[in-house]
Amino acid sequence: MDMASSEVRIRPVRYLTAAWAVARKDMRIYYFRPGNLMFGVLFPVFLFFSFAVGRDLPVEILIPGLTAMAMFFGSSSTGAMAIPTERKTKTYERLLVAPIHPISILLGQTLGGFIFGALFASVPIVLGIAWFGMPVASSPVLVLAIALSSFTFSTLGIMFAAIPTESPGDIMMLLNFVRLPLLFVSGIFISLDDVGDIGLVLAAISPLTYSNDLLRWAVGGTSYFGPAIDVLGIILFAIVFLALALLLHERVRKSDRTAGKRKRAKEAASA
Amino acid sequence: MDAIEAESLTKYFGELLAVDHVNFRVKKGEIFGFLGPNGAGKTTTIRMLTTLTRPSKGTARVAGYDVLNEPLRAKQHFGVVPEVSNVYDELSVWNNLMFAGEIYGMSRTERRSRSDELLSVLALAEHSDKKARNLSKGLKRKLVLGMALVNSPEILFLDEPSSGLDVTSTRLMRDTIRQLAQRGMTVFLTTHNIEEANLLCDRVAIIVKARIVAIDSPENLKMTLDASRSVEIAFKKDPSGLQDWLKASNRVNAVRKDGDKWKVFTSNPSEFLDSLVNYLERERANLLSINTLGPSLEDVFVSLVTNAGKGG
Ligand SMILES: Nc1ncnc2c1ncn2[C@@H]1O[C@H](COP(=O)(O)OP(=O)(O)OP(=O)(O)O)[C@@H](O)[C@H]1O
Ligand SMILES: [Mg+2]
Repeated sequence: MDMASSEVRIRPVRYLTAAWAVARKDMRIYYFRPGNLMFGVLFPVFLFFSFAVGRDLPVEILIPGLTAMAMFFGSSSTGAMAIPTERKTKTYERLLVAPIHPISILLGQTLGGFIFGALFASVPIVLGIAWFGMPVASSPVLVLAIALSSFTFSTLGIMFAAIPTESPGDIMMLLNFVRLPLLFVSGIFISLDDVGDIGLVLAAISPLTYSNDLLRWAVGGTSYFGPAIDVLGIILFAIVFLALALLLHERVRKSDRTAGKRKRAKEAASA
Repeated sequence: MDAIEAESLTKYFGELLAVDHVNFRVKKGEIFGFLGPNGAGKTTTIRMLTTLTRPSKGTARVAGYDVLNEPLRAKQHFGVVPEVSNVYDELSVWNNLMFAGEIYGMSRTERRSRSDELLSVLALAEHSDKKARNLSKGLKRKLVLGMALVNSPEILFLDEPSSGLDVTSTRLMRDTIRQLAQRGMTVFLTTHNIEEANLLCDRVAIIVKARIVAIDSPENLKMTLDASRSVEIAFKKDPSGLQDWLKASNRVNAVRKDGDKWKVFTSNPSEFLDSLVNYLERERANLLSINTLGPSLEDVFVSLVTNAGKGG
């Protein structure tokens, strides 16, 4: 074996290639995990149809709502699955001892959820266009809406995954504790025109509101807030989630909280 | 510059002192062993050296880089085989190696040739397409070693490399470690297997209850006890006053009771035996068994562990 050291310099592009490596690995391993398919795919679809059936909504309202929901659950589930699972198997520590910046790890994990959500979201869009003759007022905005929403929801999942647990179920439960209430205040099931002042305040603090609103604009050409506010809103949430995710993950990493479970994993491994 | 330098490395987990002002230096190309009983602080020390755990006090430099201030640079120069075999169960052996290379920033061509090389060196080639979850414990351990070697690090950390391995796998693991060191790699390993430390290490630090109680080559460690080779004696019935007589004997350094046997540490076993014969005649005592023993690393270990225990 050639033991000569191969000096690796950290170039800016390394941040991205390392992130991409992490993302691809997550895509391979976690996309088809039952937990991800259950909470990320089936759950929003069933939930949506149980609300939409019999309400005779136009397709320009129906498809954006379904798309936004699909991403809200789909994009945020991958990280919530992957991170605690890897804490348990200790593969997470593989990333921590590799010469990659914590931002790359976080970005990679975000990309994993982002791509999952974006792919998942294109299903209702394509079906809507091909089957129900859904109009598209602006395809660039549609693409932008999907990209921004999926990214932001993915960072939401990553942020929650900072909770130092080794059980994906714990993260999913807490995430649903937040996702479900937000779902009902985001103007998907009840139009923002009908929610009153308090309803609007609640809607304003949900990233799903802006996602749904922007998608409606991209599809039907009309929306409540208008595209500028929607785009800004989503980006703002992405920044907040990402910053909090970085902060919380770093804090947990330095705190020995997850290291405490080492003994159990060791015993399990040698059993 | 040494490959690894630890200065007053200390770790508290809350109230619990897991590593207590540990100091050592590992030279380039050396195989350095951390030998100690369960819970002594071996893993915690490795985790501090590999940036996974923050020291409460003290510093460490790996490949010349401070692990707290320049972790990314330090990480470029070491590979880790942790206590638990952390492979991606869902990925094949090949893809595990490729991913390991990818996060070290190696190009696809580099990764391919390096992974091929490692598969053959570690005799994993026939398992290349198997998912890691289907590997036996020994094969998994080898894969973890391969993943740690992907970027040809200068320094390799191994936490109980042969734990859970059968005789053949253990031998292969040790041979591989030896070969790596021969080619200039610095190896830091932990073990609670005394024989492993004896066979493999250039120098051994014995760590007991968070503290290093001795650092030296296995041979020198044995020499520290050479001054007190031991004689093991057992009687049908202990003569009264035996212990006092043993302690008063001028050739005897220490006396320990091990079950029904007395272990007598002496610098000169033959003189001790002469005086023992006289004593036996005088007391009309019946000897059940007698054994003279050279020091083993185990004796050193046991004596250090028990002494550290007495000290609190
Ligand atoms: N994350 C943690 N939180 C609290 N205590 C810990 C943590 N990690 C280790 N300890 C404690 O620190 C002490 C040293 O543990 P460590 O794992 O370093 O020992 P070790 O020498 O590696 O033991 P073993 O041979 O069993 O692997 C033990 O008492 C252990 O219980
Ligand atoms: Mg240990």
